Amino acid sequence: MAGKARRRGHGLLKCQPGTPDGWAETAAGKRLDHWLAGTTGDRAGGVSFMEQQTQGATAFGFLTAVDSPAHGVFGGYLLVDAIGRPLEFHCTAPVKVSRAQQILYGASLPGHLHGQQIGAALLAEGSVIPAVVLTDHDAMLAVRPHTSLPVALVRRRDEAVEPPPGAFAMGEVCVSPHVSDVAAAEALRQRLEHLGASVDLTEPFERIRAAIEEAQRH
Amino acid sequence: MLEPCGRAAVRSIAAADLMLATGGITSQIVPAIAPVQAVRFPLDQVRPAVLRVPLLDTRPRVSSHRFPRPTDPVPKPLPPRVVVQPTAAADRQADTIDDLQRNPDVAGQRRRTRIAPPGDVVKLSERLFFVLQPDLETTLQASHLEFPREPFPFQLDGMAFLMPRHGAILADEMGLGKSMQAISSLRLLVRSGQARRVLVVCPKGLVSNWARELADWAPELLVAVIEGDPARRRWQWTLPDVPVKVANYEAVVRDREMIEELGLSFDLVVLDEAQRIKNRSSNTHRAVADLRRGRSWALTGTPVENSAEDLVALFDFVAPGHVNDRMAPKVLGAAAADYVLRRTKDKVLTEMPPRMNRDERIELTPEQRETYRRAEEEGVLRLSALGPEATIQNVFELVLRLKQICNFDPPTGESAKLDCLVAELEEVQASGKKALVFSQWVETLGRLEGKLARFGALPYHGGMSTTARDEAIHRFKHERQHSVLLLSYGAGAVGLNLQFSQYVFLFDRWWNPAIEDQAINRAHRIGAAGAVTVTRFLSADTIEERIDEVLRRKRDLSELILSQAEAPAASGLTAADLFALFRLPAPGRAAA
Repeated sequence: MAGKARRRGHGLLKCQPGTPDGWAETAAGKRLDHWLAGTTGDRAGGVSFMEQQTQGATAFGFLTAVDSPAHGVFGGYLLVDAIGRPLEFHCTAPVKVSRAQQILYGASLPGHLHGQQIGAALLAEGSVIPAVVLTDHDAMLAVRPHTSLPVALVRRRDEAVEPPPGAFAMGEVCVSPHVSDVAAAEALRQRLEHLGASVDLTEPFERIRAAIEEAQRH
Repeated sequence: MLEPCGRAAVRSIAAADLMLATGGITSQIVPAIAPVQAVRFPLDQVRPAVLRVPLLDTRPRVSSHRFPRPTDPVPKPLPPRVVVQPTAAADRQADTIDDLQRNPDVAGQRRRTRIAPPGDVVKLSERLFFVLQPDLETTLQASHLEFPREPFPFQLDGMAFLMPRHGAILADEMGLGKSMQAISSLRLLVRSGQARRVLVVCPKGLVSNWARELADWAPELLVAVIEGDPARRRWQWTLPDVPVKVANYEAVVRDREMIEELGLSFDLVVLDEAQRIKNRSSNTHRAVADLRRGRSWALTGTPVENSAEDLVALFDFVAPGHVNDRMAPKVLGAAAADYVLRRTKDKVLTEMPPRMNRDERIELTPEQRETYRRAEEEGVLRLSALGPEATIQNVFELVLRLKQICNFDPPTGESAKLDCLVAELEEVQASGKKALVFSQWVETLGRLEGKLARFGALPYHGGMSTTARDEAIHRFKHERQHSVLLLSYGAGAVGLNLQFSQYVFLFDRWWNPAIEDQAINRAHRIGAAGAVTVTRFLSADTIEERIDEVLRRKRDLSELILSQAEAPAASGLTAADLFALFRLPAPGRAAA
């Protein structure tokens, strides 16, 4: 512990010599500053996954939808840093689907609504490029054709009855990449390692739901 | 026979109705025109209604919220779990700490302590900033913050209460770790760059305690204690790279002009034992209220000691103008609710060792009784003779005189309380336990020290230097032959962690039950190794019993206000109360 290295004198408790604040001057801090400087203001749209990997992006996207019987479907998209702190939050106005639309779209409705309409609209608003977009909503996986970002489904491990190809465990959760990203599953796993060590990957979705509730109350 | 009904009708068949003529069919030619029945069939092609079903092709409106980027670095990943490292503080906590209730899991799921936006945050983006923060357990784990022990869930709740607030009163009952909660919260604020200059103001006797607690609970933060001559203090006030400064109340009052002259401002000021500022006309109150600051946190176990005004005085510091003393208790309670967090041990530490209270009613010795009787009669006669000229000071002097006689008979030195205490301490010593004995008089403590020498009694009071007091605590804790610590309420009621003591004796009673509770909670606090027995000595049929009656009426005042209930008519030991002790009418000016 850093505190053990301190000495007491003249009422002033001193830290290790040469480190004025003990924790701010770490290599990790410099890397983060560098990364933040390099990515802030970029848009997600035009950068490929491989390009992001070379940029060393350490933001992560969490995308989900909340179905409110009274209002319709709300979409929420939370971008967090490598230890789960919020960077950006985007949410949609509720989208109400009529009975006729349900009939017309049939089985394609969830994918179209969550993926193409809500999901794509939310991802387009992000100004930080996440390493991966995670969702806990099956239909949100349909956003993948509309973004260059890798997308993966997160489930508690006990919920994942039959892990699909490319799925991997991360703490208590099972991460299943979209079929387009199965080939990059190992890269995704590595990218999620840091976040997964600190954050329960299902937890940020709770925050999104709470934020949508807060926005509704406001 | 079917025939069209005229040419015009044929031409307009598409638009008109068909005329269907039917007649009787016979084998003979019937010259007469057969009767015709006309049946009309509508031939208009009614245009069907067209139902338009819009496609879901319009992107929904999106509202975006971007938050300030954290300035502290992201630490390297470590294996999951909160890191718990034993430190010196762990040594100060009893071994039983791990046995106490922590409740990390609820229904098989990990507990999550969320930071809720305070009521005075109105803007949606700012509210979402709090709502979207990770839970505290995740933050602590991700930041690899080391603690001497894992915080209790209610302590995490306390941190989640403090962190988002600019004005807050943490009013937990004594012994629940207010200092630790404040330190851990300010630590997170400093690490995240939300606070760079923090000032902790505490009573003089607790400065070293705070320095120790800061070293334990925020080891990476540099701390400067403001002390010494003016030149030295000026240097300490202006140390640029020290995020946390600790000063006692007297130093803040003394250096008021210096602070103003130097233009010092703080991102956070924490007041410990904040009831020190309850007198709004005092220099202490004004000096503290004048500090330029962003956040104001007050820590006190007794936000309401005597009257609702105490709470209003605290609000002068935490949220000036938010409440006033014209508010009814219920209204005051409602207005204060979002700023005050108070938990009691029986609510949050259900497995904490019990506290057993015993009121020991002691008959004075015959010599004491005679001395007491004479003193009271003479005193009352004197007060009566003074009539309306009698002052509160006159009454107070008589009360003190009588209380001293209840402790020791001045001519003979006899003491029924001492006899009882000795008997109790023999048992304490025999069982290898430790006891705290409180008195309001240093003189009484001096007498007790001599009489209790065989128990290795050590004194601890304001007449001793800080070094001598620290030494007394060290010896009491570590040397088996010292079974008794003799403390004055003034010096020993606050800030000390003496939870290795199982017995507390109140040799005489303080004027305010809150102070007595503080004294008792030196032993009955987190980490208490077993049940704590509290014995309150009361001399039968004396002024002590009468004062106890008044104190009993006062005891629940704080909870009444904090729970928004109606305050009782008599909420403090007023001048009228003091006169009533001797069945004397209170003069108008004195009772005011």
